[in-house]
Amino acid sequence: MIRLFRSCIGGFLVLMAGTAVSAPYDSTYVPRLAADFVIRNALVLDGTGADAYKADVWVKAGRIAHIGQGPNSEGAQVIEAKGQWLTPGIIDVHSHLGVYPSPSVASTSDGNEATAPSTAQVWAEHSVWPQDPQFGLALEGGVTSLQILPGSANLFGGRGVTLKNVPSRTVMGMKFPDAPHGLKMACGENPKRVYGTRKSAPSTRMGNVAGYRAEWIKALEYKAKWDAYDPTGDKPAPARDLKLETLVGVLDGDILVHNHCYRADEMATMIEIAKEFGYKIGTFHHAVESYKIADLLAQEGICSAMWADWWGFKLEAFDGIQQNVALVDQAQACAIVHSDSARDIQHLNQEAAKAMTAGRRMGMDITAARALRWITLNAAQALGIAAQTGSIEVGKAADLVLWDRDPMSVYSKAQQVFIDGYRYYDRSDPMRQPVSDFALEQLVGGKR
Amino acid sequence: MVLMVSSGAVVATDVAIRNVQIHTLDAEQPLQNATLLVLQGRIAAFGRDLAVPAGIPIIDGAGMVITPGLVEPHSQIGLEEISAVDSTVDSSGGEVASGPAFDVQYAINPASTLLPINVVEGVTHAVTAPAQADDVFAGLGVGLVLAGDVLITHPQVALFGAVGARAAQHLGGSRAEVFSHLYRTFAELKTYRQRRAIAGSTNTLAGFSSHRERQYTKIDMDALALASSKALPLVIQVDRANEILQLLQFAKEFNLPVVVRGAAEGWKVASELAAANVPVIIDPLNNLPNGFDRLGARADNAALLQQAGVRVAFSVSDPHNARQLRQLAGNAVAHGMAWSSALRAITRVPADLYGLDVGRIRVGDEATFVLWNGDPLEVTTWADSVMVNGRWIDSSSRQTRLFERYRDLAAGKAQGFTYQ
Repeated sequence: MIRLFRSCIGGFLVLMAGTAVSAPYDSTYVPRLAADFVIRNALVLDGTGADAYKADVWVKAGRIAHIGQGPNSEGAQVIEAKGQWLTPGIIDVHSHLGVYPSPSVASTSDGNEATAPSTAQVWAEHSVWPQDPQFGLALEGGVTSLQILPGSANLFGGRGVTLKNVPSRTVMGMKFPDAPHGLKMACGENPKRVYGTRKSAPSTRMGNVAGYRAEWIKALEYKAKWDAYDPTGDKPAPARDLKLETLVGVLDGDILVHNHCYRADEMATMIEIAKEFGYKIGTFHHAVESYKIADLLAQEGICSAMWADWWGFKLEAFDGIQQNVALVDQAQACAIVHSDSARDIQHLNQEAAKAMTAGRRMGMDITAARALRWITLNAAQALGIAAQTGSIEVGKAADLVLWDRDPMSVYSKAQQVFIDGYRYYDRSDPMRQPVSDFALEQLVGGKR
Repeated sequence: MVLMVSSGAVVATDVAIRNVQIHTLDAEQPLQNATLLVLQGRIAAFGRDLAVPAGIPIIDGAGMVITPGLVEPHSQIGLEEISAVDSTVDSSGGEVASGPAFDVQYAINPASTLLPINVVEGVTHAVTAPAQADDVFAGLGVGLVLAGDVLITHPQVALFGAVGARAAQHLGGSRAEVFSHLYRTFAELKTYRQRRAIAGSTNTLAGFSSHRERQYTKIDMDALALASSKALPLVIQVDRANEILQLLQFAKEFNLPVVVRGAAEGWKVASELAAANVPVIIDPLNNLPNGFDRLGARADNAALLQQAGVRVAFSVSDPHNARQLRQLAGNAVAHGMAWSSALRAITRVPADLYGLDVGRIRVGDEATFVLWNGDPLEVTTWADSVMVNGRWIDSSSRQTRLFERYRDLAAGKAQGFTYQ
């Protein structure tokens, strides 16, 4: 369905046999060339949940080519990493970098199109400011991929986009190639507050649910119209509706649902809605009460993206506990630690460590390897990019972070960060530290 | 090792903790393999090779660390339960009441869930301040102990305010007017008492009529006079380097005991802060250039300030998570601050800023300390047990109760309170 729409856009696309032609808005990201290299003698936490092991990791043409005592290093640069730790690049499934950039002023506040309960037609990527200096700070914290989502004012907030955390003049140059779009949906207090205070629908949780259902009904009708349309026939194509195109993308399985939802009972209701209309919820975000329904979430195969310790800032966050992540993980449901914060995205390793520690404190057996998975492979799965990144495995992109010590330590800092094998960050080399345009002569690091 | 102690114990505690590392915050170096002896709820002694009287319960503290209870120097604990529920938030005077006379002591909620949730994690004391609202001055804060029968230990402990863009909004929009306003007000304060005495108890003050807009009322001037006569710390939120310098100049002119809060660009004027002996309250994790007042924000602000000789205290902006204090300190260490200074920034320095007389372990004091299962600044350790004013703290909170309720869903279902 999405492909069909794409071919409609402008009507000028020429598809040549065997040649990929990029559609409007597609990623233009191309991995930067780097010489082959091997990282020797690091302790590897590979993101799969396997315990740390000592190994050499070989990178060829931006991909992980070999792990272990390998071929000789002829032709490859050697990075000696004895005493250091190597992990996959960290992935944040919930960020607003670029759409709520620094500096945070009215003219940069581009994350919430809070003008109607459904704004499924908006795409977060069209608000992303690639010069947001926060991208560089996140890179310094080891973040190599991140999903930028619209805010949670609306029932349907719009499309999220998954980015590579690389400097670029355009957002297309950051887009993770072939990553699916996300659809941001929101439960609970936010939509009912935003619209309720304007004396328009929804003003209650039941109003929220009626609002989702009404939109899905429209989406099914719209999908039927397009399914009946014959591009080779005489009849004109149905009129395009950007809002419904997004929802149909979900129904077709091309767009993943990222559902902001705090309370357990509301998550359960959202699952019913998904069943009524035949779509799948990929991830509940914030999900501070996932621990109350971890069995249901495991059964439904839905991820929970959670904070380590945020609670109490609104009533639906009042039952937030520090063991949420550990309990979800223990129930064999997909557990993710997310940031939703330009501050905490810089130390997601610490956030995972806190969530691990909270479980251990209560007697739960949680390894550091397990905790690292909450910010790597599980996050990649939630974004539909696990075949490309999220773990250190042969064939995957060399999205790597070299830490000076155990990444579960508060004292640990990323020393080098690689994306597709290119060293975008090096703590010891100022020329390998990103400086956004905005930073020049203004921010720390912008004066060199 | 977890100590299970029932709450409400009235018997003052006797206990000896042996083989433990003790940071008293009075001495520069920690005591290794030492003993802490608590008798009748007071610190009786600490040191190596200490004799423990017969019959005193003994805890083996091998591998563990004792510090004073942590002190949060700027919070809304007790004033703010659920941030987005107005009826549970008493931290701001808003347009109507904010100003020097806004006094939060009457709103502190002893039943707040934030007290046990933070205290079980080792945060034993806090200064609770009014949230910055529409006036340059937010009002008067209180010093709290987060457990026990009497929470407020220090009413009217400091006067809080802000300069900068936010404060300027209320005064027409220019930062210039903020300092003009402060200079005028404090100049008037010099002669205020005299005129106040002449006016007696009448509502109108001879020679002190409201001849200009934005002039403080008698009530506000009384509060400023109180702060001045008690030499209360003037805790002013400010981030931009040049405005910090303006504040130092202002404080010098009127001889005010000022504390700089925020100080994102403090590192740029660290030597001036040190020379003026003005301490700072900062969040070392807040390195974002997220406002034009804070373009110079950086992760090693704490280290640079400390190395210049400035007294540094840390504060978590979210009262629900004052328990993150030690994570803040750990990050300051990761970015160059001395470990002992980082511990000091969450214990002794914030306590001393306000004269709380806590944040240290001293013989004769009521015993307030935390027994950690490792490095207290590390995110993989936790507070094994906490003693406040001679009593062990019950290690449960509303959050631990929720955990226990849902830790085993299969068992929970049988009791009928989980998802069916």
